[in-house]
Amino acid sequence: MEIARNFYRHKLRSALTISGIVIGVLALTTMGALAENFNALLDGGVQYYGSNVQVGPPVGQAASLLPLTKIDEIRQVPGVAAAFPTYGFSAKPGAVTVVSFGIPDTIIASDPTEAAWSSLKTSYAQGHAIDADSSGEVVLGSTIDKEFNKKIGDAIDLPVKPRDASPDFVNHTFKVVGILNVTRTAPDSFAYINITDGQMLLKDSLPVAVRDVIDVTKIAEGIDVYAKAGTPISELDKIADRINGHVSGVKASKPSDLVNSFKQGGAIFTAITTAAALLALIIGGLSVVNTMFMAVAERVREIGLKKAVGATTLDIMGEFLAEATLIGVVGGVIGYGLGALITILVNATTPPGQSTLFLITPNLTILAIGFATALGAVAGVLPAWRAARLDPVIALRNE
Amino acid sequence: MANVRLVDLTKHYRRGGEVIRALDGVTLDIDKGEFIAVVGRSGSGKTTMLDLMGLLLRPTSGSLFIDDIDTVKLGDRELARMRARRIGFVFQEYNLLSGLNVLENVMLPLRYVKEGRNGRARAVELIERVGLSDRARHRSTELSGGQAQRVAIARSMVNSPSLILLDEPTGAVDTETAQQLVDLLKRLNQEDQVTIVIVTHDLDIAKQATRQIRLKDGKVLSDEKTQVGGAAPGLPPAQKS
Repeated sequence: MEIARNFYRHKLRSALTISGIVIGVLALTTMGALAENFNALLDGGVQYYGSNVQVGPPVGQAASLLPLTKIDEIRQVPGVAAAFPTYGFSAKPGAVTVVSFGIPDTIIASDPTEAAWSSLKTSYAQGHAIDADSSGEVVLGSTIDKEFNKKIGDAIDLPVKPRDASPDFVNHTFKVVGILNVTRTAPDSFAYINITDGQMLLKDSLPVAVRDVIDVTKIAEGIDVYAKAGTPISELDKIADRINGHVSGVKASKPSDLVNSFKQGGAIFTAITTAAALLALIIGGLSVVNTMFMAVAERVREIGLKKAVGATTLDIMGEFLAEATLIGVVGGVIGYGLGALITILVNATTPPGQSTLFLITPNLTILAIGFATALGAVAGVLPAWRAARLDPVIALRNE
Repeated sequence: MANVRLVDLTKHYRRGGEVIRALDGVTLDIDKGEFIAVVGRSGSGKTTMLDLMGLLLRPTSGSLFIDDIDTVKLGDRELARMRARRIGFVFQEYNLLSGLNVLENVMLPLRYVKEGRNGRARAVELIERVGLSDRARHRSTELSGGQAQRVAIARSMVNSPSLILLDEPTGAVDTETAQQLVDLLKRLNQEDQVTIVIVTHDLDIAKQATRQIRLKDGKVLSDEKTQVGGAAPGLPPAQKS
């Protein structure tokens, strides 16, 4: 109560000091939400690539094509439990690629049973998985679904025909049978079809000169290799080495290399955004130090009186620390609230089909408000110490 | 039993190369319930003696007992505890907290006596006894000098101390108000048997104490029982100073 009154007595000064913290926490919240969003995207990559071995064509091969017979060879490698062919195509060929925190819309053709092996789990908001034996079915990720505004049973032409498409451009009509829940990572921008349809799109994508020469039912663009569930990434690395040693004409990537590259990217981004925000917050913290020193200077007689009536050094320290901490808490809560509001508004105005920029997480909430509170407390230590060490005799007769 | 005992108490300060003997070997016994006036010229050591008795200063040498406790041996925390429980202070400038109302100001010392019970009731009672019941919710800035000093007196009594130390409590009020404050102090002294030590330049006030101690150059020049003292007159309710 007394602290609140002290704030009220110096309304402008209190407001300006709290504003310093508010701006810092607002910056921390928005930059942190940006980093959290980016990290969620990368976490999907870490989960996915950390649970299998990616096999592609050997280094130097121009076309990303592999004979399906390689799958049988790979299945013979010790430690391999399953291997699936994969195909990937741009859902919007020819679209202008801009700098984005999202993954471009992509058509993924895979065996529906592969989902059971992957660590990156998806769930259905509506509908169901594609049937491996059917054709012309598609499951849409949440972002691509919003972009094309489709519901279960609707038709969608894939790949999307560009305005300047050549006369021989081919696409096909698919029926939407499932829509995925938001994952905040790659599957949000994916359209999943089965392998037969994937091979059809692969044929469409080949140059006309070789289109009828290559049997697309016997090739894959890549192979996803799985060990039994719970296999550590170090063991997956060894399996990748064994594939490279036993199977010719393929290149298996070590999962740890892929995972580390994701983590490094995330760490650098988080460091840059968080450092910028913390800098703003520390400047806000300095204003708390200044305010508290002024408060001590103004209340010297009050401190002397409190000591005279029985306050100990710790009592006085506690009172000033509580005041500084409250500045941090108030600034933190307001700053976080404004920051969260901004991120919500920006996310809400993101055009359909584009990934949202911000993600507020419980960790970010704790970090933002907790750091502001701790900063207020730390900023109050020196002024509170000075107050507590005042000689009561001198303080009481201070003019 | 002496409430306060000063034994060869000294307080020396060093200013440059010179030693200032603010209090120089004072020995005194102050019994419980005495009303003492400490007089003397500026620089005679009055305030230093009051600060020492209030445990705000540590002596250079000698002993100081309060309620038979040797305070010289106590640490800072114990001294604060002694101040909170056994000593009340009243200052010339009132030293009320402007952010608090009258009741909250009176209750301030209770904050530092953790196990204090019925503190609010005690504060309300004291505000009534100093005649300010109708001002309990007023801010200290809304009070006259005499009213503010009565609040300070109530505050000094809230923890039921055995000793109240007053440093020029009438220095900032007119003569009539000063007399009203002294009457209040006499009444509290008699009703609660609390020891009162008042430092003053005002000889008319000093004469009303039961004992007068005159200091000069940090030493006791005289220590006399006075004839006057006398019973405190009744205080009219809610006096406006």
